[in-house]
Amino acid sequence: MDRPVLSHDPVTVEPLLELDAHPECGGLALFVGTVRDHHEGKSVRHLKYTAHEPLAAKVIREVEASTRETFGVPYVRIVHRLGDLAIGDIAIVCVVRSAHRAEAFDACRHAVDAVKHGAPIWKEEFYTDGSSAFVEGCCIRDDLDDSAPRPHRHHSHTSHG
Amino acid sequence: MTSLHFELFANLERLAGTNACVVEAGPDVHSVADALALLARERPVLAGSLERCACVSGDTIIRRADPVPADGRIALLPPVAGG
Repeated sequence: MDRPVLSHDPVTVEPLLELDAHPECGGLALFVGTVRDHHEGKSVRHLKYTAHEPLAAKVIREVEASTRETFGVPYVRIVHRLGDLAIGDIAIVCVVRSAHRAEAFDACRHAVDAVKHGAPIWKEEFYTDGSSAFVEGCCIRDDLDDSAPRPHRHHSHTSHG
Repeated sequence: MTSLHFELFANLERLAGTNACVVEAGPDVHSVADALALLARERPVLAGSLERCACVSGDTIIRRADPVPADGRIALLPPVAGG
């Protein structure tokens, strides 16, 4: 359980695949999110991810566990990068191993979405015009009452789609 | 008087110009909601951003109706955008 889920160093995909394990698995789904050079019409030079690390790590571990349980897959591994990233750098990796491909695809998509929507991680983009901004995201309050605007349904989650 | 320690993240940190702030609370501050109302008065620049923040004590999200954590420390987490 002590496998890191947050990394301040560049993420390497290969070790996360565990290709020498899980002989019962015939499917491996892999999602790799990388830093894109544009966002909503602005040219991005680089970006910085920050996190509330104790809660982010807890949320990601919960996503791994709940994804294994919900989709009945034996292996789910997620690592999210923090710190300064250049265009093309890996931001997030999600690996799912499963007996068959269908649940691997479904579980991988679910896990990535759950991390994006629930883990307290923020993306600060630095643009080529010298400005910067935090990308508007999902409210993770769980006690907004029904009269308040809903914190989140699907708005434009264009990042890494 | 009790000292409330707020930890600020992302856009809140940018707005406040610091990643933490301390506010002295009187005996009328009991709940997380009370603490946030006080913070909004003391740091007006943050007031408009608090509604969509999650509050965290340690590694646990706490609710507005919950009592202020015993250690007086509340992390304020604005909307998230990982991935």
